[in-house]
Amino acid sequence: MRNSPFFHFLTLEFFKERKKHMGVIAISLVILFLLSSVLFISSSIRYSLEQTLDQEPDFVVQRIQGGERVSVPTEWMDRLLEIHGISSVTARVYGRYFFKSKEKSFLIVGVDFMDEQSHKALRTIMDEVDLREFLKGDNMLVGGGVSHYLKSHFYPKGYTFLTPKGAFKKVHLFKVLPRESNLIANDMIIVPIELAQEIFGMNEEEVSDITFNVPNDDEWANVEDKISSFHYDLRVITKNDIKKAYENLYNYKGGIFLILFLITIVTFVLILYQRYSMVYSSERRHIGLLRALGWSINDVLKLKFFETMMVVIVAYILGVGLAYLYVFVLGAPLLREIFLGGANLHNVITLVPVLNFGILSSIFLIYAVPFVSAVLIPVWKIAVTDPKEAML
Amino acid sequence: MSEILLSNQVIVYLLSESILFGLLLIAFIITLEILIKWDFGSYSEQQFRLERRAYLVMTILLFVFVVKFLLLIYFVFAIDSLSLLVPGAMCAAGVISANDYGMLLLLLKLLILFFLLLWMAINRYDLQAKNYPLFRIKSWLFVSIFLVIAIETGVDFAYFGHIDTLEPVNCCSTLYGQLEGANPLPFGLNTMILLILFYLLYVAVMASALSSQRVSFMVALLLFVFIAYYSVVYFFGTYIYELPTHNCPFCMLQKEYYYVGYLVWGALFVGTYLGLISSVMEIGLKVERNRERMVALALLSIFVLLCTGFVAIYYLRNGVFL
Amino acid sequence: MTENAIITIENLNKHFKSGDLLSKVLKDINLEIERGECIVLKGVSGSGKTTLLSIMGGLDRPSSGKVLVEGESISKLPDLHISHFRAQKIGMIFQHFNLFDHLTATENVMIPLIPARLSMDEVDQKVHSSLKLANISHKAESTAGRLSGGEKQRVAIARALVSDPAIILCDEPTANLDRDNSLKFIEILGQLHEMGKTIVVATHDPLFDTLSFANRVVPMEDGSLVGSISKGLQ
Ligand SMILES: Nc1ncnc2c1ncn2[C@@H]1O[C@H](COP(=O)(O)OP(=O)(O)OP(=O)(O)O)[C@@H](O)[C@H]1O
Ligand SMILES: [Mg+2]
Repeated sequence: MRNSPFFHFLTLEFFKERKKHMGVIAISLVILFLLSSVLFISSSIRYSLEQTLDQEPDFVVQRIQGGERVSVPTEWMDRLLEIHGISSVTARVYGRYFFKSKEKSFLIVGVDFMDEQSHKALRTIMDEVDLREFLKGDNMLVGGGVSHYLKSHFYPKGYTFLTPKGAFKKVHLFKVLPRESNLIANDMIIVPIELAQEIFGMNEEEVSDITFNVPNDDEWANVEDKISSFHYDLRVITKNDIKKAYENLYNYKGGIFLILFLITIVTFVLILYQRYSMVYSSERRHIGLLRALGWSINDVLKLKFFETMMVVIVAYILGVGLAYLYVFVLGAPLLREIFLGGANLHNVITLVPVLNFGILSSIFLIYAVPFVSAVLIPVWKIAVTDPKEAML
Repeated sequence: MSEILLSNQVIVYLLSESILFGLLLIAFIITLEILIKWDFGSYSEQQFRLERRAYLVMTILLFVFVVKFLLLIYFVFAIDSLSLLVPGAMCAAGVISANDYGMLLLLLKLLILFFLLLWMAINRYDLQAKNYPLFRIKSWLFVSIFLVIAIETGVDFAYFGHIDTLEPVNCCSTLYGQLEGANPLPFGLNTMILLILFYLLYVAVMASALSSQRVSFMVALLLFVFIAYYSVVYFFGTYIYELPTHNCPFCMLQKEYYYVGYLVWGALFVGTYLGLISSVMEIGLKVERNRERMVALALLSIFVLLCTGFVAIYYLRNGVFL
Repeated sequence: MTENAIITIENLNKHFKSGDLLSKVLKDINLEIERGECIVLKGVSGSGKTTLLSIMGGLDRPSSGKVLVEGESISKLPDLHISHFRAQKIGMIFQHFNLFDHLTATENVMIPLIPARLSMDEVDQKVHSSLKLANISHKAESTAGRLSGGEKQRVAIARALVSDPAIILCDEPTANLDRDNSLKFIEILGQLHEMGKTIVVATHDPLFDTLSFANRVVPMEDGSLVGSISKGLQ
């Protein structure tokens, strides 16, 4: 660089025109910052979701009647256990329990603490619970959001549920689940299966669904086919189905943002075009003089190209860097609500830094391509300035 | 709207392609004007204006080339990450064959890059002469490129608009595999002959280039790419994957294989492009293009070394061939 | 065409169109300038001196006619070549100095060399000797905007000389200078003449009437050359 007169001149020019460049960099920064923040948040959430989904059981068996989910008879479990290659068959009872005000609800999950859990996260949670103590009375494990809610409504020790049969059932708060599980377990209450059945008014031969794992991936399709044919109203859901549903949801949310962003980009392009077309007569003279002194159109184009690239790259690095700080260091105040909002209990999760080629290149392309396209024609116009301009 | 069209990468890709098309449309209109009104001998203001506008065409094409090149990499990358959404797809191979447009699109892209590069080589030469001797050839070439890009942009939307996220697709194991025992190689070649051809053609390419036999260089080069493609998919690839049954041109682009596919295919295609361009320029326009040819030879040699290297390293590590 | 001619102008016409109005600025100009000659184009304001000079220097194109420099027509060269021609063959000195005010004298002088892709050392060396030739080395690192009129003019001369062109074109070089500085300028011009440069000066400054080394004074009137007063080669 130091040894090239061209780059020497380029830096001098760049410095001279810094006011003009500052303006453009500032607009670019705002746009890049917003875009990168949104993409960082959504990909971080997606990453966390994938992590949590990995913990989910591989298969879920449900029963569908008249298009509605109904409870599954426990005898299906025995038939599942006979199939080769299946492990950790677990019955689950769960459902939403609406709190007094009917605005908020908890997800109550009943598990059989004596079985080996197909849900890996539950397995780890349970390893840390003193089971003997837990099973002695009517106890529950609750997610962070639930604990927070109960505390603020003066139920710090437990809660009294109202069953469909009209009876009251008092349950003690045994332990709050660790924070890392908040993305899925925020509004969750875990209780022994019998207790859940009681709260939802189910009898003992009924469960909500049955879950199990199939360790060998190649067997999945096979197992799915076999089980589907068990019973006409049986439905099998695999982990991949859930994964795809989430993937779609977050792509969708990100996609909506991108479309909003497209509108911003159009504005951005118009501003840039305006700004670069607004060629002051002094700049025309300036370029005309270079041309008169022997610079060809190509030489001027090259100068302008490097100038533009410097603006693009400086703004890109700053914008993405600031967004990184904002999202992953500061935790994206304000913006996170848009993504995590809509959850019915206050949610506290940490955004895990995720930075990959896909995100970085997407940001670069969607910013740089419209940018350069917008300034291409104005830059060409100035580059073909007549050299005689210098004589006037 | 389908969830494919709402995936971030597809939006970014389609937006970029559309913007490029818009710019090319401008360049196309100017080129038509140039073709109709160009009169180099004239001193009219119109002629000087056309000469200036030709620079806009050049600027646009240069920009389009650079972005199209980046977009090709991005496209392959985007497709690879879509394999999560398309059932049955494990890598880009499955997604690209999700409908009839995918493979066509990829081929169009490779073709367009080649012709853009050729255009730039011609343009460079044209600008260095004193009377724009090639402007007609160059303009017609651009008109054809524009038409192909118009088709490509249409196929872009057709392809991404018609990826079904419910219908399972076949992936590389079925697309490239030898499951039914049928020989996937062309002309009933077997692996041994394929490899002999591969190295023989490489030697032929080098020899004809160094002895300046232009026509034979071009023919050898074309044969070499063809054979090299099959050699990588059915032989060298298996050493990259270290799995004798894994035949796929796309999986090697993934992180698991350290993105080495970009290097392998990049060296092969860029090398071939430069080689072909030097031949076209030399045979068609009688212009010396030694530098391009030398770079081409270097890239092709890197490609051959890389392929051979994978086999050699595997052998050194495990003491056997696959 | 004489063998020794460096610039030959044949039947040159230049007109500008603004709307329907066609103004003929140069009419049927024929002129031959020999290598090493020093020519003074004299004429009142608006007579077309600047326009003629621009066309000679490849900054503008004729409407018809021919301009040959060293035997080659420059009026229809593509941009790459005409720019190269300007950079290599022409040293231009403008009426308003036309320096980049924010750059130093050295940086200003460097500009014509940038497209040539020389190394920084080569450029430095050329710039240095050119500044010395124009007698302004002592202000090499000063910002051009802060220099006096005479100093600016000398930086402009250094810039015109830096790529060692055969032809120096000056447009009203003394219009913005006082008498002292004008005389100094003429002195430097004399040195350049001795170095064998071909010099064309467009001016209406009477100081140039008595130029000791000028070979010819060519009067211009309303876009035409009206005879020429030859002083003979010295
Ligand atoms: N771009 C243009 N469009 C229209 N008319 C022009 C243009 N450039 C120059 N002219 C006209 O051409 C004529 C000659 O201009 P030119 O600048 O060559 O004169 P000059 O002899 O250099 O005058 P001065 O001594 O004032 O510098 C003037 O009448 C001017 O108005
Ligand atoms: Mg004038």
